[in-house]
Amino acid sequence: MTHLELTHIHKSFGASVAVEDFNLTVKQGEFVSFLGPSGCGKTTTLRMVAGFELPTSGNVTLNGKDLTYVPPNKRNVGMVFQSYALFPNMTVAQNVGYGLKIAGKSKNEIEERVREMLSLIQMDKFYSRYPYQLSGGQQQRVALARALAIQPELLLLDEPLSALDAKIRFELRQEIRRIQQKLGITTIYVTHDQEEALSLSDRIVVMSQGKIEQVGNPFEIYNFPQTRFVAKFVGSLNTVTATVVDPAKGIASFDGINLEIAQGLNGKNKGEEVTIAIRPERFNFLAEQRKENVFDCTIENITFLGSVVRVQMKIGNSIFNMDTFNRPSLKLPNIGGKEQVTCSNKAVLVLAG
Amino acid sequence: MSQMFATRQRKLWREYPLWNWVGLFPFFIFIVFFLVFPSLRLFTGAFTNQEGGLTLDNLKVFENPNVLKAYIMSLQVSAITAFVGGFFGFLVAYSITQGGAPRWMRNVISTFSGLAANFGGVPLAFSFIATIGQTGIITAMLKKACFNLENYGALAQFLASGGVNVSDITNVCPLNPYTYGFSLYSLSGLVLAYTYFQFPLMILTITPALEGLKKEWYEASTNLGATPAKYWRDVALPVLMPSILGASLLLFGNAFGAYATARALTGGSIPLVSIYIGQQIRGDVLGNPNEGYALAFGMVAIMTLTIVAYSLLQRRATRWMKS
Ligand SMILES: Nc1ncnc2c1ncn2[C@@H]1O[C@H](COP(=O)(O)OP(=O)(O)OP(=O)(O)O)[C@@H](O)[C@H]1O
Ligand SMILES: [Mg+2]
Repeated sequence: MTHLELTHIHKSFGASVAVEDFNLTVKQGEFVSFLGPSGCGKTTTLRMVAGFELPTSGNVTLNGKDLTYVPPNKRNVGMVFQSYALFPNMTVAQNVGYGLKIAGKSKNEIEERVREMLSLIQMDKFYSRYPYQLSGGQQQRVALARALAIQPELLLLDEPLSALDAKIRFELRQEIRRIQQKLGITTIYVTHDQEEALSLSDRIVVMSQGKIEQVGNPFEIYNFPQTRFVAKFVGSLNTVTATVVDPAKGIASFDGINLEIAQGLNGKNKGEEVTIAIRPERFNFLAEQRKENVFDCTIENITFLGSVVRVQMKIGNSIFNMDTFNRPSLKLPNIGGKEQVTCSNKAVLVLAG
Repeated sequence: MSQMFATRQRKLWREYPLWNWVGLFPFFIFIVFFLVFPSLRLFTGAFTNQEGGLTLDNLKVFENPNVLKAYIMSLQVSAITAFVGGFFGFLVAYSITQGGAPRWMRNVISTFSGLAANFGGVPLAFSFIATIGQTGIITAMLKKACFNLENYGALAQFLASGGVNVSDITNVCPLNPYTYGFSLYSLSGLVLAYTYFQFPLMILTITPALEGLKKEWYEASTNLGATPAKYWRDVALPVLMPSILGASLLLFGNAFGAYATARALTGGSIPLVSIYIGQQIRGDVLGNPNEGYALAFGMVAIMTLTIVAYSLLQRRATRWMKS
């Protein structure tokens, strides 16, 4: 069931285009992330949904109602800001109850709902504290409760965790997802952190320079990126430009080295250039006898990343990364040494752009 | 609390050896000679008689109706100019911070405010006398804007037939402020002149507080259904209130202590405390310097209260801004 619909949204600031032909439908109760680098138009798009920016053209529809020209204080959409934005002159309870007070709810009703919200975010004890007496993480929880107290039809979060340190960020991330699922509220979450987007979302919208690059669930986005941009931005994909050798058999070559591609190269012509991508974790040191995709390489560098070891290697003239699990039994090669690595032909992706 | 402060202080002294504080010495010496000593002298003088014995007799000066009148007048002038200057200063500060006035205008206004807030005394009085004094250029212009009904024959006839005495509406100069009882050399003139430095002072002191209003507070309240008016009532004004009150107190104190502008403008015809004390010092009125000390002590007491209230409000204003 379509809940939120953005159709042909376009937004320019003077001569500069911030968002271009943005189309998206979000289902009731779905958690959708906007993921992309700084300046790609995530916030601008979110603010158009909240009503703080007017689209240059296009429409925002919520529950079948056209919201495009509805002022922001009449939308019943909850928003959480990166900088918390709690009202400094109000206590936690007054902050959470503010939307209800504006809506003219009775004192008892407000009180009851505020208590309910504070227990939802596990901050009952902070009822009469002021924002300046709270940590950043606590402030953001209160901001979330404040946005949810009015029972909005839609929850918008603009990088709500990016001002917090890593540990709190991780905790609060779980918390947001738990609350979202408990309430079943349709949510849009803006982030430039791929890990956040991958771990939280039902679907991810990857954006670049005001345009949608790809929409898909985390599994699709991570394993089957459609464009070079998505491949590079999500995870740390190896990409290389290769020339089609045999479209029927799915063979291409780079630096004179042949690659076998399980998905084939249908629709490509011999001699055409294609972008190839391979995830670092799909490479292995050659252990058993194998015919396809065995490469000679030179080890360039080795980095420990905790549970994973990243090996940088040179195949032909191109640099690739290989990730392997950091087991105690792991035998690492020497830097500068010559090795043989392999990857399955199913691991080789062909990107659209 | 004071314990904590003390240990921190000690740590400061350890981390920053005496040498780093050398630059402050001239300032301290200055303060001791020209603030601490005179205040002590004022204090002791107010409570001793001319023979040096302790007494409360000097406070009897406050029973003098002229003295009371001077205090009331001073408080009045200070309160009115703080209010008028504060109101207009706030409006200007609002438009250059939140109102989206262009950047250059903002720079021009803050530079002007920095200068104007410190403009006072004889030069200020003179520039007002030269413009809207009895014979000032603006007064002259306003005086010339007159209206003679006789020049409008048909209209005059029509009104005359209705029983209006046409000669009453001859040579009426509706813009001349002096016909309405305005005088630069009176209370209203003084208020006008003081406003010249009061309202830029308000701009200077309130601008940082207005800049501290976060755009997100406005957006968050809007998002929760509030109108701009409700945002101002529930968030912006409460957040700004300590700063507004603090700045008003600063304006109040600024006017309360002023002397030269009032003296140059009105030549002492308006009895302000500062002018009264000046007359005492020069021995115009009564020759008891200890009574002069008592008068000045009263002023210092009021100023001290103002400053204490101001700093309490400041602390309150910055407390909220910490988050
Ligand atoms: N009010 C504005 N006036 C002019 N340009 C703007 C305005 N707001 C945003 N932009 C421009 O629009 C583009 C998109 O900005 P936006 O804030 O949506 O990016 P973002 O994806 O949220 O980035 P970030 O991750 O840094 O928050 C940027 O190029 C930005 O400079
Ligand atoms: Mg942003």
